[in-house]
Parts: sequence; C-alpha cells; structure tokens
Amino acid sequence: MKPALTKQRRLIATGALLATLHQAGEVSVPFLIGVIIDRAVDGGVGDLFLWLGVLGAVYIGLSYSFRYGARAGARASEQTAHDLRLQVTRRVLHNRGGAEEGRLPGALVSIATSDTARVGGVAVAIVYGTAAVVAVVFTAVLLLWISIPLGLLVLLGLPPLMWLSQFIGKPLEERSETEQEHAAEASGVAADLVEGLRVVKGLHAEEAAVSRYRQRSQIALAATVRSARTEAAYQGVVLTISGLFLAVIATVGGILAVRGEITVGQLISSVGLAQFLVGPLSTFGWVGADFAQARASSRRIEAVLSAPVAVTGGDATPVTPVKGQIDLRVRDVALKIAAGETVGIVATDAAAAAELLRLLSRSSDPADGVVELDGVTLASLEPEDLRAAVLAVEHHTGLFDGTIRAAVSLDRAEPATVDAAMAAADADEVARGLPDGLDAVLGDGARTLSGGQRQRIALARALATEAPVLVLHDPTTAVDAVTEARIAARLRQMREGRTTILVTTSPALLAVTDRVVFLHDGAVRAEGTHGDLAAGDETYRETVLA
Amino acid sequence: MTTTLLPIATGARTRSVVLGFLRPQRARLAGALTLLVAGTIAGLVAPPLLGHIVDLATKDGSTGDFVLAGAGLVGAALFEAVLAGLGIALLAQVGEDTLARLRERFVESALRLPLEQVEKAGAGDLTSRVTNDVAVVAEAARTALPEFTRALLTIVLTLGGMAVLDWRFLVAALLAVPVQAYTVRWYARRAVPLYARQRVAVGAQQHQLLATIDGATTIRAFRIAGEHSGRVAARSQQAVDLLLQGVALQTRFYARLHVAEFAGLAAVLATGFFLVRGDAVSIGTATAAALYFHGLFNPVNVALALVDDAQAAASGLNRLVGVASLTTPARAGSESSDAPSAIEVRGLTFGYHPDRPVLHEVDLTVARGERVAVVGSTGAGKTSLAKVIAGVHDPLSGSVAVPAGEVALITQEVHVFAGPLAEDLRLARPAATDEELWAALAAVDALDWVSKLPEGIETEVGSGGHTLTAAQSQQLAFARLILADPPVAILDEATAEAGSAGARMLERVATAALQGRTAVIVAHRLTQAVTADRVVVLENGRVVQNGPHEALVAEPGPYAVLWQAWSGQRTH
Repeated sequence: MKPALTKQRRLIATGALLATLHQAGEVSVPFLIGVIIDRAVDGGVGDLFLWLGVLGAVYIGLSYSFRYGARAGARASEQTAHDLRLQVTRRVLHNRGGAEEGRLPGALVSIATSDTARVGGVAVAIVYGTAAVVAVVFTAVLLLWISIPLGLLVLLGLPPLMWLSQFIGKPLEERSETEQEHAAEASGVAADLVEGLRVVKGLHAEEAAVSRYRQRSQIALAATVRSARTEAAYQGVVLTISGLFLAVIATVGGILAVRGEITVGQLISSVGLAQFLVGPLSTFGWVGADFAQARASSRRIEAVLSAPVAVTGGDATPVTPVKGQIDLRVRDVALKIAAGETVGIVATDAAAAAELLRLLSRSSDPADGVVELDGVTLASLEPEDLRAAVLAVEHHTGLFDGTIRAAVSLDRAEPATVDAAMAAADADEVARGLPDGLDAVLGDGARTLSGGQRQRIALARALATEAPVLVLHDPTTAVDAVTEARIAARLRQMREGRTTILVTTSPALLAVTDRVVFLHDGAVRAEGTHGDLAAGDETYRETVLA
Repeated sequence: MTTTLLPIATGARTRSVVLGFLRPQRARLAGALTLLVAGTIAGLVAPPLLGHIVDLATKDGSTGDFVLAGAGLVGAALFEAVLAGLGIALLAQVGEDTLARLRERFVESALRLPLEQVEKAGAGDLTSRVTNDVAVVAEAARTALPEFTRALLTIVLTLGGMAVLDWRFLVAALLAVPVQAYTVRWYARRAVPLYARQRVAVGAQQHQLLATIDGATTIRAFRIAGEHSGRVAARSQQAVDLLLQGVALQTRFYARLHVAEFAGLAAVLATGFFLVRGDAVSIGTATAAALYFHGLFNPVNVALALVDDAQAAASGLNRLVGVASLTTPARAGSESSDAPSAIEVRGLTFGYHPDRPVLHEVDLTVARGERVAVVGSTGAGKTSLAKVIAGVHDPLSGSVAVPAGEVALITQEVHVFAGPLAEDLRLARPAATDEELWAALAAVDALDWVSKLPEGIETEVGSGGHTLTAAQSQQLAFARLILADPPVAILDEATAEAGSAGARMLERVATAALQGRTAVIVAHRLTQAVTADRVVVLENGRVVQNGPHEALVAEPGPYAVLWQAWSGQRTH
C-alpha cells in the first residue's frame, strides 16, 4: 500500500498540517474561555473585546484550516483508492491472466471497491492521527504552563483511564460486532429470497419462505438487542470514566486555585482542556483500527496484483499473413486442422471441450504437449498478438453495455462487415425488433433480451472480427432449430476461406462442417464427416443425436 | 416494455404506519425517553458543579468543600451513566423491534406480490428496496435515531439549564439559532440531490466493475482490455469527483456552523462578563454558562449533520412502507374440480400491451396425466402461454382454468437459496424428512454429487456458500418440484442454459420429475417433443398444429420443417 499512498504524500502532508492547525484552534477555544471569564473579575471592557477578537481570529483560522485540511485528506484518500482500483482492474484484465484464479468475480469486485477504499482511508487516518498527536502535545504544553502538578495529573492520569475504558470496552465491542454481523444476515436472507422470487412463486412456496424469513429475522432481532445492550453498557462505562476524571481535575484544580498557585481563569481553562483531550485520544482508537483494517485490505490487494500469470514466456508475433493451420498434440489427443478448414469438434466430456478453448486462446499452456499455429508453438507467442490471429469464444460469453452496433463492431469492424455478421448470426432480426435498431442500447449485460437473442448478438460480434482462426463453443444452444440451421449455413458462408473450429454437439452446426473430430475418453475416437460418424459410430450418435 | 415502479408511500402514510408499529411499544418508548431525559439532566448537573468549584476557589473554600463538590461530580456521572445506559438500551430495543416487524411485513408483502407487478417494475426495483432501503433504514434506526434523540435532548435541556442560570444566557445562546437554521436549509438543499447523484455514480462504478471482471475472459479474447480499463477509470473518476464534492459541501456546512458557534459563544461570554461585573451572577455561574454552551457544539453538529441521513432514511422508509402496506391476500390454492381435463384454455388472447397481443384465440385442453410439448420459433409466444397457464399473467380475453389443481412453473432461471441445501429443498415442502429429501435428490440423479459435498445436504450452498453449476442448480429445481408434488407442472425451457451436454442429462431428470403429473413443456430441443404425448406448434401467437409427434412429422407444415432442421443429418 506504500507506493499508492506515497504518490499522494503532498496532499497528505498538507492535510496533516492544516488539520493540526485546526486542532490547535480547537484547543485554544476552552483556553480562551478561561481567559475571558478571568477578565470579568479584574479587566476592562477593552480587554473583553480584545479577547473576543482573538477568539474570532482563532475561529477563522480553525474553520479554514479544517475546510482545506479535510478536503486534502479526502482527496488523497479517494485518489489512492482510485489508483488502486485501476491497478486491480488492469491486473485482472492483463492479457496473461491468472488474477481470477481461485477468486470469484464478486470477491474481486469487493477488493476493487471496499479494500481499495480502506487503503485510501489510511490517508485520512494519517491526517487526523498526526493532528491528534500534535493536539495532545499542545494541550500538554498549555496545561504544564498553567500548573506543573495539574498538567502532570492530566497527562499521567489520562492514558491509564483511556486504557481502562479500552480494556473494559474491547471485549464488549467485539461481542457487539459479531452480533451485528448476525443481524446483517437477516437482510441477506431477505435479498436472497427476493432474488429467487420466481422460483418461490413457481412452487407457491410463499408461505414457507415468509415463515423462514420470520424465523431468521427474530434470531437477528435477539442478537441485535443483545448487541445494543452491550453497546449501551460500554457507553455507560465511558461516561463514568470521563466523569471521574473531570471530577478529579476540577477538585485538585480548585484546591490549587485557593492556594493561589493558579488563577481562577486557569482553573476554568484546565477543566476545559481536560475535557477537550478526550477527543484526540479517542481519535487514536479509530486510527489504530483503520490501520489494522487497511493492512488486511492491502494484503488482499497485493495478492491480486502479484498473482502469478497463467501463461509465462513467449513474446513473438505470429507470422503474417496468418494462414490458420492448427496443430494440437496434448496428451493422447492429436488434432490437425488445415488452413481454411471448417471443423467440428465433439467432446463427450464437457471439461475437455472447455480445456480446448483455453489452450487455443492461450489462457493456459498445455502441461503435457504442444499447440501450434502455422507451425509455431503458441507458447512462444505473445498472448494478445496470438488472440488477434486466433479468437476463441467460450460458451458463456458476456455482452457489455452500449449500443448493439458498438457491441458487435467493438469500434473496429467496418459497417459492411458488421451488417454481414449480424445477418449471418440472424442478429439483424433481433435489432429490427428494437425501436432503435442497431443503435438500441443494451443495458445491464443485455438482460432485457432473451437468452437466444443474446447468443445471436454475441455470435455476430465473433464473426465481425473476421479472425483468421475462429473457435466457437456451443454458440447456439438457446436458439430454436430452424434459426439454428439458417445460422449454420450463413456462418459457413461468411467464414469461407478462413479456419473455423466449432466445439459443439449441435447437429445443425456439425452438418455444415468439412469434417468432425470426435473426442472420447481423452483421445480422438473417430474422425470424418458428420454424416459418416452419425451413421457409423454408436457413441457419436448418442452424444449428438440423442 | 414500460416500467411501472412499485408503490411509494406518502410521508403521511409512512408516519401512520410507523406509528401503528410503535403503538404496542408505547410504554417502553415512554420509559426509554424518561430514562434518557433523567440521564441527560444528571449530566447537566456537572457544569454548575464546576461553576461551584470556581466560586469556591474565589471564596477560599476548604478542601472538604472541594472534595464534596468533586463527589457530586462523580455521583452525577454515575447517575448519568446508569440512566442514559438503560435509556439507550431500551430505546434500541424499541427501534430494533419496530424495524424487525417492518422488514418482516415488507418481505411478506414482497413475496406475495403478483409476479406480473414485479416484472412490470423491473427486477431491480424490488431488489434495491430489499437491499439498499432496508440497510439505510436499519442503519438510521440503529445509530442515527438514538444519537439524534440524545443530541436533541441535550440541546433542549442544556438551553433550559442556561435559562435556570440566568435567562440572559439563554437569550445570548439563541443568537446562534438563526445561523444554524439557515445553514441546515442551505445544506439540505444541496446535499440531497448531490448524495442522490453520488449513490447513482457509486452504483454505476460497482456495476461496471462487475461487468468487466465477470467478462474478463471475453475481454481478453476480443482484446478490448484497454477500452474496459478506460470505462472503469471513467466510472471510478466520476464517483470520486462526486464524493469529493460531497466532502467540499460538508466543509462549507461546518464553516457556517463555526460562525454560529463563534457568535453564540461570544455572546454568552460577553453576557457573563457584564453580569459578573454587575454582580448579577457569580463567576462560577458564568463559567457554568460558558461550559454549557461549549458542551453544545458536539450535539448540535451531530443533530444537524444527521439531517441528510434522516432524509435518506425517510425516502427509504417510504419505499419500504409502499410495498409493506400492499395487502395481497395469501394465495388461495387453485380451485380443483372433478372435470376430466387438467388444463382448459378457451379463446385465450394475451399481450403485455392490450393493443399488441402476443397470443391470439388460443384453445388448448390437456388431459390429466398428459404430457404436452409446446414448440415454435423464438417469439412465437411459447413462454407467454406458459406464464398465463401458470397464473402469472391474466388473459386479455378468453379463459384459463386448471381443474387439476395447483400448477408449478419451473423456468430456466435457476436460483439456489443461500443456506444449507436441505433448507433450500424444504422451501418446497417444509415438513419433509431427510429421507424424503434424499429420495428427491436420488430421483434427479443428484445423489452422487450431493453426497460428495463437504457436509452432504447440510452443506451451505448459494450466495456465500458452495457454488453449484448451472446443471446442478437445475437438478435442485427439479428436486423441489418433486417435493412440492403439484398435480400440474409447466417447464419453460428449463433445460436450456446448461449447454448441450447438460441439456440431455436434464431432460432425463425432467422426465423423472414429471412422473405422474400433467405437464406442459416449452421446448426448443425437439427431443422433448418426441417423448411428449402431444405436440402443440405455436406460430405468431396462434396454435397452428396440434397432435402427436409421429402424426405432425408426417404432414406438411411448420413442425415438419422444424423437425427437418432439428434432425438434419440425424436420420441415416
């Protein structure tokens, strides 16, 4: 977390300086109250206005230093969080991958938002923590200047009292926190039930869901009430301790004043200062907690940023023009695909199909084998340059917010290509059904469209890239049979002359391929046209036609 | 589709509902307030006692006098601690109790809302109420409300205390009020719209991050990482700018309050100065007044800063009460009768807009125990027909009756409820024994993977628990169907999202789950049509063919075309 914060050191320093001035101003207020009341006994009206003027000047100073100090601290904090957020995003999107390994998307989002904000919060903690230290020192100087015994009493008495309240408060606070978590669960359950509303409704399980929620809510209620009681007890302890402290200072101060060791005004100032000290000292409490949280957050961010990449080495560029010949020899699977061929790959094992996609896009390198493009091993190629030549689209592929046109063209493809791709994927029909056609805006992952419509737009996007090698995994599972057959024919036409690999069990798609490779039990079981395999291989028939 | 948001209650309606919730707690609430008032008064004894110590110092008080005054201070602190502590605890209990009943009523109303209404409002509306609004209101009830109550009591009672010292102190202190009143209005006018924009921007940032991170594989494949980093950066910067604007606004708010503080403090000090010189009050009294006023800074800041929290909570509360006070009667079970058919659809016309029907004059009779497949190209009206039969939507004209009784609807939308797997299943049949659960799991071929889960059926699944695949989640959906055991089941492409390999397994499972039920199956995979007793072909919202698979394949028509495309090279 250091480098991200170091970048903001000027803002942090400015913030700390100004916050310190603000605290000095806040310390001066009770001190000045004592001074002014003192003047009532033996000063003139001129003195009153002089000191009120001083009070006014202090107020102007403390107000402006607070204003700009708080802004500098907040800016440093937000900027740090923003920088880290972008670093996490870039790391996740890095073309060699690896950051998502073992982390769910939701967890990564929470790292990019909550954890970066907590680390950013350190800037604010430094600003106010520094100011609190200075405020304590400044108060101590003032108190010692008023009276050395009184000053020592305050300075030596306060830390153990603070420690005592922490000591009593800590376990109470921890208990209250765990019970708060218990309470948060209740709203979690509610959100979950609402998210599954259609399922609940579909089964008419409303009453069961309601009674389940009631139960959880009552458990949470009991927990929060316990936690609130604990909290109240803690507040009572703090009130008692600070009251005790004030009583001791006032009594000792009064006795010192009677003995003439301090003036009455100084007595009033001392009481005011002792009350004031509680503020900065409690700042130390939350600053410490913030630092601890930020350290944990920082570790999580660091773990993402330094996650090992999924594929190492290789920075060559594919030879251009790319011919599109693929040669794969991994474990017992040997696959040769000629340039310009349209090949279907049928895998009985879903994991094998997914692995094939990962290997061809170099999302991972084979542990035990080699994949080649035009005779060059993929492991020697820079991943991003490789993906310009070989586009492998997974079955679950996301659409992003924006117009349909932008989603398909990716701001690269020519309008004519986009039109052709839309027509080939039968996505033009989807666009025609929307009021703004190609310029219709897809919000929220295009969730207003049906599954089949989303699939067709995603397919159009893949086709519009005109990649030399295109690998598609089950691109039409949510499309009806007539449309699927139409898409298959047009897809073949649009890809004419370029290598196309269809990893699928859909007969409509397989029927338009030149050749089908059938993977079963970790090896190529059969090869041939779809018709021949369907006629000759019982397992193939079961996999594809059942 | 136009969206009609779910109702939002008016302020007056919300007040009356909340008061209704509070009524049974009247005694507790009164007790809490009494304790808090007593505690605050005990705390306010301190400044006059400190003033008394100052007076003793000027009048050569004895050590015993000082110790007595100090003991008074300790006593006051103890009283304050005990009374305020009890008051806080009691107030929290009232607040939490009310909150719990409100959220229970809300969830109950939300779950009973007709699905049609939820869909019209967009799924986001209800979700945002149940997450954001419940959280905002809970936070307010838990922290803001008690703090605000205590601050308000402290302010009012302190001002009272100043009046007791000398009415002129009160007048001086009130000099600050016009500035504070102006400041709060000034702030609220700017803060409310700014915070609304802030929430939108933070939401947009979150949404963009999720879309980008979730789509990382796609982004890498299409080499659009640069553009997406840019999108995230723009969203994040927007949120940061608005957050900083908020901080700037707050500092300007406090600057105005500083003016009020100074004006009031100067007035109180000057009043004290002249009153002491005129021998109207002792120096101790002037001290007490100054300490009173200095002690007001914090509560005033707390109370005023909570104004915008209070506004956010109030609008959240209006949205909760809007749904909570909808009285949707508990759903009566479908009227079953002894009619020979299970489902009777007569002259059904249906559309999401009255002028754009998607189903025209549909007639369909399904016999008891019959299995009917509904096929047709995308947009033919298959899903709409399924939903109308299931009672999600009402027909525009014509009638739908289900003499067989209860209808269950299973869609391709899978949801696994967070919590132990067994509890998920028991939503369908709350009284199910473990044996029944295992039997249902066995029937849907899930025995294998469920028994491999770390804690079997007690394993936490769903959000925050063990993640299940799409196919496993759909298996659970079928297991729930078996447990709910309705006479009629409607499957809307319930096997579609699992990919082609998973779809075959799910079709087997579906067949098992539908054993002994009347079923309407919306299918795009024609394998389901082949095994059905009868096939209904929809085209542009009309039934164009109706008959068993073998018959329809043989006659010229859309089904034969569909079958040709589907089977393609299948028939060799």
